[in-house]
Amino acid sequence: SDKTVKLWKVSERDKRPEGYNLKDEDGRLRDPSMITVLRVPVLRPMDLMVEATPRRVFANAHTYHINSISVNSDYETYMSADDLRINLWNFEITNQSFNIVDIKPANMEELTEVITAAEFHPHQCNTFVYSSSKGTIRLCDMRTAALCDRHAKFFEEPEDPSNRSFFSEIISSISDVKFSHSGRYIMTRDYLTVKVWDLNMENRPIETYQVHDYLRSKLCSLYENDCIFDKFECVWNGSDSVIMTGSYNNFFRMFDRNTKRDVTLEASRENSKPRAILKPRKVCVGGKRRKDEISVDSLDFSKKILHTAWHPSENIIAVAATNNLYIFQDKVN
Amino acid sequence: MLGRGLKRKLSDYEENMAGLSSAFDSSRSLPYPLKRQLVLNMCLTKLQTYKMLVEPNLHRSVLIANTVRQIQEEMRQESNQQPVNICPGIAPASHSYTGMESPGISLQLPSGISQQESHCCDLRSVEDPIENSLLIVSDDDMSSAISSILKDLDFVEDISPPTCLVPTGDDQPKFPENTGLKLEDDRQDLKGAECVFGSFEISNSTSYLKDLAIDDIFEDIDTSMYDSDFCCPPLMPPRSPSLAAEEPLKTFPSCNSSSANNIQICRTDLSELDHIMEILVGS
Repeated sequence: SDKTVKLWKVSERDKRPEGYNLKDEDGRLRDPSMITVLRVPVLRPMDLMVEATPRRVFANAHTYHINSISVNSDYETYMSADDLRINLWNFEITNQSFNIVDIKPANMEELTEVITAAEFHPHQCNTFVYSSSKGTIRLCDMRTAALCDRHAKFFEEPEDPSNRSFFSEIISSISDVKFSHSGRYIMTRDYLTVKVWDLNMENRPIETYQVHDYLRSKLCSLYENDCIFDKFECVWNGSDSVIMTGSYNNFFRMFDRNTKRDVTLEASRENSKPRAILKPRKVCVGGKRRKDEISVDSLDFSKKILHTAWHPSENIIAVAATNNLYIFQDKVN
Repeated sequence: MLGRGLKRKLSDYEENMAGLSSAFDSSRSLPYPLKRQLVLNMCLTKLQTYKMLVEPNLHRSVLIANTVRQIQEEMRQESNQQPVNICPGIAPASHSYTGMESPGISLQLPSGISQQESHCCDLRSVEDPIENSLLIVSDDDMSSAISSILKDLDFVEDISPPTCLVPTGDDQPKFPENTGLKLEDDRQDLKGAECVFGSFEISNSTSYLKDLAIDDIFEDIDTSMYDSDFCCPPLMPPRSPSLAAEEPLKTFPSCNSSSANNIQICRTDLSELDHIMEILVGS
């Protein structure tokens, strides 16, 4: 549920034991008095089966909806974040957690900001970041205090007055925050952009990528149909050179940080056969629409790619599009 | 039949909202105060909807409430500036309104619309809300969208004369009643915004719910909700007859139940806003 944390073991099973003494192959019990021979069960191959078993359930420690879970680099603890609080858990202890961040005001009427995402540093087990609905990121060190109410660093970009609108605050709300594998950068996703921040520079991001800037002139409609609240994730590739995030119409975007090139791809069965190479897509912004381009007004906003993942070392990506999961990989020679 | 009735209302509402939003997005000549009022209305509607959910989304509610606050703060600041604008001399000047002599112009809007538009472009739109609103009223897309949405959402503050700055002093002799009227609507808009939330505390079922309720099922329920102070009788302002073009907007009830013969100076109550937040976050 939205407020309970469960730890699952996901395993593959491709063999099963055969030859039990007390049960026959259908599982029915045998009459012990009929057994004359003893045998040792052997493992025989079977069709691959993937199973998920819940191993831990962590007691209700959240009053609001959980938006993030992050495992610590020590592999002993993890944190779970909801709108107003972040709790630290030990994997082995399911009925107790430590509260490490609490931004609930004494008077709820004063509430103007909520926590939107949180993540541990990939190497430093005492460091984590959390993002807010006001577009800010706070980096905290658990060694300084039990309750990390004071941040060690505060990342915020000054607002661009030329882009100001009624919806400025809403689109600045950060939907995802991810450390780079190196631990030197963080990436944030807000409604229209992906930003890369250097941990050593708090006053502005070092890179900003436009995911779908053509939506900037449609904000009122997107607000009306609630799409403006969609929470997109973002991911780094294994070498931190490429970042990826989702968009609408089953599109997802990749940005190469070194070459500054970007590409838009589509995850849909209609438009690509298995094993076929994905064709880059393009959204046409006004003016003449070329063949193969899609105009902004024909985009399907119900087909959104919110969840994406990149293999930590290989060029294999997973993209979730509505009810389907797509897995793509680099072309194999 | 019941289901059909309900669906029709909802889809009408959704269509209207979608139409208004696209108009907002695509139209550059929409005056700022009207855009602002549109957004404010959308925000309030959403907040009401969320309030009715079993598990309201705190994140969204906070974002929307912040937007409402920002808009209300802006309107508050503008209304604070109004006294300064009203006071100065009544001596008529003609600089801003060249070619627009009298209220009679507004009646000729449909035919003289292109002339209007070019004049409007010259004007600082915030200073000429009446002409602009009339311009919009006579724009087919906007007016039909506004009328339908207001019919469906008559519990929400009306979006008749944009609640922005009063016309400059040179307008005084021609539209004296409208100056006062605008002040009144201005305050009422702000008060109305909070009235909407106030009503949630007063009764469990709001007129919004009743509007959408399947009429046949609740035949025996007295819908004299409309007579309560939540939704009051149509405002009958002492407007000059030339503003007849604004007729459709006039009939929409405002949220304030005060009588029409006095200028209501409803101060936006800061504690009302706190009250709203309290309800929103269910403390």
